[in-house]
Amino acid sequence: MTDPRIAIEVRRVTKRFGRRLVLDEIDLEVAAGESIVLTGSNGAGKTTLLRAMAALIRPNSGDILWFGEKTSGQHESRRLIGMVAHENRLYPHLTLRENLVFAARMCDVVHPQHCADSLLETVGLLAHGDRTPPVLSKGMRQRLSLARALIHDPPILLLDEPFEGLDADAEQWLSGLLQDLRQQGRTLCFVLHDEAKTRLLADRVLHLHQGRLLQVAGQAAVAHVA
Amino acid sequence: MSQTAEKHFFNDYLWHAVAAGMVTTAIAAIFLLAPMEETMGIAQRIVYLHVSVAWMGLAAFVLMAITSGMYLFRRDLAWDHWSRAALEIGWLCCSLTLATGSLWAHAAWNTWWTWDPRLTTAFVLWAMYSAALVLRSGVEDPHRRARMGAIVAIVGMLDVPLVIMATRWFRGIHPKSPHMEPTMRVVLLISVVCFTLFFTMLLLLRRSQLHIADMLEDLQAQAEA
Amino acid sequence: MVSKDLLSECRSLRVWPAMLLLGVVVAMMFAMQADLPPQQLRQIVGGLLWLTIFFAGTLALDRSFAAEREDGCWEGLLSYPVSPTCVYLAKLTVNVVALAALECVLIPLFAILTDLPLLAHPGPIIIVAILGNLGIAAVGTLLSAVASTGKQSSYLLPLLVLPMVIPLVLGAAEATRLAVEHDFGPSWWRWVELLGAFAIIFVTASIALFEFAVEE
Repeated sequence: MTDPRIAIEVRRVTKRFGRRLVLDEIDLEVAAGESIVLTGSNGAGKTTLLRAMAALIRPNSGDILWFGEKTSGQHESRRLIGMVAHENRLYPHLTLRENLVFAARMCDVVHPQHCADSLLETVGLLAHGDRTPPVLSKGMRQRLSLARALIHDPPILLLDEPFEGLDADAEQWLSGLLQDLRQQGRTLCFVLHDEAKTRLLADRVLHLHQGRLLQVAGQAAVAHVA
Repeated sequence: MSQTAEKHFFNDYLWHAVAAGMVTTAIAAIFLLAPMEETMGIAQRIVYLHVSVAWMGLAAFVLMAITSGMYLFRRDLAWDHWSRAALEIGWLCCSLTLATGSLWAHAAWNTWWTWDPRLTTAFVLWAMYSAALVLRSGVEDPHRRARMGAIVAIVGMLDVPLVIMATRWFRGIHPKSPHMEPTMRVVLLISVVCFTLFFTMLLLLRRSQLHIADMLEDLQAQAEA
Repeated sequence: MVSKDLLSECRSLRVWPAMLLLGVVVAMMFAMQADLPPQQLRQIVGGLLWLTIFFAGTLALDRSFAAEREDGCWEGLLSYPVSPTCVYLAKLTVNVVALAALECVLIPLFAILTDLPLLAHPGPIIIVAILGNLGIAAVGTLLSAVASTGKQSSYLLPLLVLPMVIPLVLGAAEATRLAVEHDFGPSWWRWVELLGAFAIIFVTASIALFEFAVEE
């Protein structure tokens, strides 16, 4: 049963790492086209929740649904999700273009070469397409990560601290791009620390504390929290 | 709560007594009942223990593989406690098999070790048990540890028939069904039954110990939170 | 994905040279120790060859997942819309190719060092090598994924894999010995069948179990 209105539904999800309870019966719905921000102190479970939403970890109990469909065991539906993780997930021995072409092939994109080039242009790295990730700056790698996440044109985008390590110019450029993505009607979920960015990008702010969602603030309250 | 605790206490002591009785019976049968073998003398009495632990070592491996499969199917750590108990007891029995076998072989064949099919199989089994123990010691998350242990157990179980086949094709010198006096057969039977019960007891104890330790840690984690 | 791994290895040249070098050094050591008359050498050359292949090949097996663990590439791989089975088969293919490359160096080297007709019948030797590679890679790829989740991956892997592949190493060694002795009778076929059975059983089982090895 698909439901086009709810992009992500988290149903009573619990996750433990060893004895430690990281997520404690989390319930959450993200509407299609909505942009939410997860905040919370270190170790509150933000990244874990984001990874659970991407179906990268299997919860001890509970379900994750994308557009009303359960994610467990569904490899095909992974193309609904694009993710920018903490680590950049780039192969250090392949050039930027090869990294993107590989990602495109894995996602069955029709014209991998063409698609890689156009995305390199979007993120402003076309001139560096034949270099390898280790020789680039952190900001450039971050851009490439974003390109990699967008390669299959996913309706849902999960971003784990996308602004980390960027200089002021790159930050501005990235928030512009993210605003565009939001305008296009994509569903965005962020983990962010920066209050100004949160105010700029969030429809809703969710605060995690010790594995529980403590505070759900709507658009009106966003300004107040920030 | 206190009633269950008392029940546990009583059961444990009852079982300990039974286990001790089993070992005593087996040892008594081996040394008092069994006749002295003509050519090998007292060394032949090792066989009674050897056969018992060898059978137990193999049975524990099968149990470990089955409970591992159940864990992967059900994702319940209770199955992993079975699997882990079987692993530890199986390793112990397998080590004892190699040790007693080696002692016997020295007396019978005048060598500590040969590459007979059964010896090789026992050694491979022991190596797989050991590798699984080392693997488990390196993983902290209990579910992940259970998963990895289960994979190794199942792959190992699939491997055992192939090991037996491969090693059989070299000719072996291991006695297959040696001639035995009726009394000897009886003693062997007593020994196998008693030691099987004894190691099963150990296995059950270890399982419930793992289970209780797991619950205790859960309670501790709850208390801290 | 296969081409990605091979390309990545070609660029970095990190594992294969080490693997080949280790293979050559171990082969030389064996040859030095086993300076025997041809009649006796013939008995053990198969075993020496396959043990060398196994130990050097372990380096490649270990890298197949350790490399993905860097920079979170592994998670990226899992987030693509491909099944774990595809990931497993791709890694299996790369490992089979790696072992084949190793054998292309080691088999002629053993032939030269021992002066035995290892290459007199290339057909049978190639069959044994292909089945042997498939078997070692099938078990090795699965257990490499298992070992890479723990903390002691690189020294744990040979410990886990060697007991499992004992029937395979035994079979390949015997089949090689018989091939050197020009004996392609029923006993040769029996060993080849064992190698085939090993490969089929463990490729199938690994496909079924791989999913459990990669989940978080």
